[in-house]
Amino acid sequence: MADKPQSATHPCPVCGRPADPEGRFRPFCSARCRQVDLGRWLAEDYAIPGEPPALPGDDEERG
Amino acid sequence: MSDEAARAVSTPTGPVPQGPPGADYNSASITVLKGLEAVRKRPGMYIGDTDDGSGLHHMAFEIIDNSVDEAQAGYATRVEVVLNGDGSVAVRDDGRGIPVDMHEEEGVSAAEVVLTRLHAGGKFNQNSYKVSGGLHGVGAAVVNALSEWMEVRIWRNGIEHFIRFEHGETVEPLRIIGPSAERTGTEVVFKPSSGTFTKTEYDFAVLERRLRELAFLNSGLAIALKDDRHVPAEEIFFQFRGGLTAYVEWLDQGKEPLFRPPIAAISREHEGIRVELAMWWNNTPREVALCFTNNIPQRDGGTHQAGFRQALTRVVMKYAEDLAKKEKVELSGEDMREGLTAVISVKVPDPKFSSQTKDKLVSSEVQPVVQVAVADALTHWFETHPKEAKIVLEQVVLAAAARKAAQLARDKVGRKNALEFSTLPGKLADCQEKDPARSELFLVEGDSAGGSAKQGRNRAYQAILPLKGKILNVERARMDKMLSSAEIGTLITALGTGIGPGEPAKGGFDPNKLRYHRIVIMTDADVDGSHIRTLLLTFFFRQMPELIERGHLYIAQPPLYRAKRGNDERYLKDDRALEDYLLEKALNGASMRLGDGRELAGAELRAEMEQLRQIASRIRRLAAQLPPEIVEQAAVAGALSLDADRATAAAARLVARLNALAAPSERHWNAAPGENGLQLWRTVRGVTERHALTQAALRSAEARWLDERRELLARDFAEGATLMLDANGTPVQGPVMALERVLQQGRKGLTIQRFKGLGEMNPEQLWKTTLDPAVRTLLRVQVNDVKEAENAFSTLMGDVVEPRREFIVTNALKVANLDV
Repeated sequence: MADKPQSATHPCPVCGRPADPEGRFRPFCSARCRQVDLGRWLAEDYAIPGEPPALPGDDEERG
Repeated sequence: MSDEAARAVSTPTGPVPQGPPGADYNSASITVLKGLEAVRKRPGMYIGDTDDGSGLHHMAFEIIDNSVDEAQAGYATRVEVVLNGDGSVAVRDDGRGIPVDMHEEEGVSAAEVVLTRLHAGGKFNQNSYKVSGGLHGVGAAVVNALSEWMEVRIWRNGIEHFIRFEHGETVEPLRIIGPSAERTGTEVVFKPSSGTFTKTEYDFAVLERRLRELAFLNSGLAIALKDDRHVPAEEIFFQFRGGLTAYVEWLDQGKEPLFRPPIAAISREHEGIRVELAMWWNNTPREVALCFTNNIPQRDGGTHQAGFRQALTRVVMKYAEDLAKKEKVELSGEDMREGLTAVISVKVPDPKFSSQTKDKLVSSEVQPVVQVAVADALTHWFETHPKEAKIVLEQVVLAAAARKAAQLARDKVGRKNALEFSTLPGKLADCQEKDPARSELFLVEGDSAGGSAKQGRNRAYQAILPLKGKILNVERARMDKMLSSAEIGTLITALGTGIGPGEPAKGGFDPNKLRYHRIVIMTDADVDGSHIRTLLLTFFFRQMPELIERGHLYIAQPPLYRAKRGNDERYLKDDRALEDYLLEKALNGASMRLGDGRELAGAELRAEMEQLRQIASRIRRLAAQLPPEIVEQAAVAGALSLDADRATAAAARLVARLNALAAPSERHWNAAPGENGLQLWRTVRGVTERHALTQAALRSAEARWLDERRELLARDFAEGATLMLDANGTPVQGPVMALERVLQQGRKGLTIQRFKGLGEMNPEQLWKTTLDPAVRTLLRVQVNDVKEAENAFSTLMGDVVEPRREFIVTNALKVANLDV
């Protein structure tokens, strides 16, 4: 609990620039990049690559 | 000063100064209109608000603008403004000086005409000043009419002239004072009338701001402002060589520009209009775009601003097209203006404004001229600065993505209804408790586990939200896993915190609104569970880091095993816990006699077992490619070494030990230490079996660690050890064997069930193991733990596809498994 905010040297996950040194937008550099990240979550752009399906063409569980 | 009245010109007393073409101008060309009376009656119409200070400052600006006009026309190089102690303001320039010859129609000096007659100015005749600010030439006379007194000194050809007015009436007509060191120039001193203005005190800061602006807009012009009203006098001086570029740099002090220097351009004159521009972008979301027409700012923009925006949108749109497609966003003009700082200055003959205050330019001919000029300048810059351009385009596309995100957040995240409580999602099984400090929310993977959890929970204070990783079949080749947008929307709504940078009242994130002070992620201990956990942790870390910092986020520790004997059942969270339990059970009352004759029992035996366990785990890791018993015996024999001096003797010991363990007919082991490590083989019934402890294996951390403990191992097992677990003793020849034997003993009489997922547990089991605060273990998520998950995630989401896949498969699971 109450960990220190993200260090300033950490690159912003969205644009790669250094994160905001005051940590207000941690772990991002700015409110904008945080917003862009939220948009990617909501647009379902973030997907963890999975393993190949057991049966190719089996789309039973497709979302 | 300047007033409009012909400065350019032939006076009886002097030669014609070199001025712009068409400047053959004297008192005869001044159009005379009367009516100072009207000004005094309704001053607001001419000078602006007389109560709030704007009219008062306008008085000074009017006179100053005239001096600046003189500088723009190429005659003045410096302007000096002094606030005097008696409340008057002095404005002096080194321009040509107001004409002092006699005005033919009026029969008085041209200077007197200019200063007392409305609309008596060169500005009504474009030959005199091609472009100028000021109030359409009413300026000086209006200021005079609204001043208690005004004194004007004019220097022409080294002769000083003087004229004085009171309330706009001439009290001392123009006269020659005499020769002066000053060759040309004008000084106007006036004291605003307290009968007209409620407040006659000038604000230094307001003048400073406008003079700085003028200095930027008129590159090279020296402007001094001195405040003599107080001791010590305050004095500032402006002179900028860089023009609008310097202005843009000054506006963005303390901000970080995306590139240097600013884009700057001055267009050629077209239809009498000239456009000057400087702009760049910084990394803030704010837009600052200042528009000027003939040095006058337009707060509300107008046709120059419209032309600028059209060009900006068109050019940037063209260059950003590909990038926008990649990010799947549509660009709009506002995206291009995020972080933009620009100054657009146009010089237009006879400009038209929407109002007397000139807050908006309406001259339609300006728009296309500005558009072409800006488009040319921008296109040229984009073509010649590919590196800087890329940075700008990335920012533009990000701005578009942020806008899209805001829209998605509005669409997907539950809004508050008119009654002001949020509509909770239907999937959420909420708790009865309303105090967040006593409420818990379990994020449970999968619907079946969610169902069990809903039945098994204590509904008084435990809420359940089932979540399911959505599977996306991106290509036929693989199944990607994600959290659906509906699921994220549901989660945000359930938490009650809102999301994003907006005001909390409008749905922006506010950690204080969290509805549960314990948020518990509960996923299966398999690959899917780990993926969902990685996604959730990353989401919290990025979008709601405060919740992690405040210690609200936890990971549940559901058991992996159930061990049951009769009515006694134990839930064990992982392999390690199961082993602990089995050891504890088997070692109760047991003892062990080691090779050196020592006999261990109780705590000593448990400590020995703990050590054997560490040794055994390394032997198993090292034994990925060959039988564990060979590695085990090699460890006891001291053969896990690169030391050539010991190799031969160790190999012989190993052969002896392996043969001793083998059946009598299969005792044919041979060993040869060599350059490629240790070769082992035997031929039994015509079949040859070969193994090798390779150099690489011998160099591994495990081999080194085991080799360092060879003496300890030899002491315990060289002569064989005996385990006394029950009435009969069991001989054991190595640590793995010993451990296996003990665990086997522990398993006796036990039924061990391994849960493949949370869904396999019934509601009662889930309560007893994972939900009940009295028995459960929760792992509080720390920022540093989650940073690792986030790093894994970032790499995973990076641009390089192949390495990132590799990475996630090998690492993300590892780092996401915080409890191992």
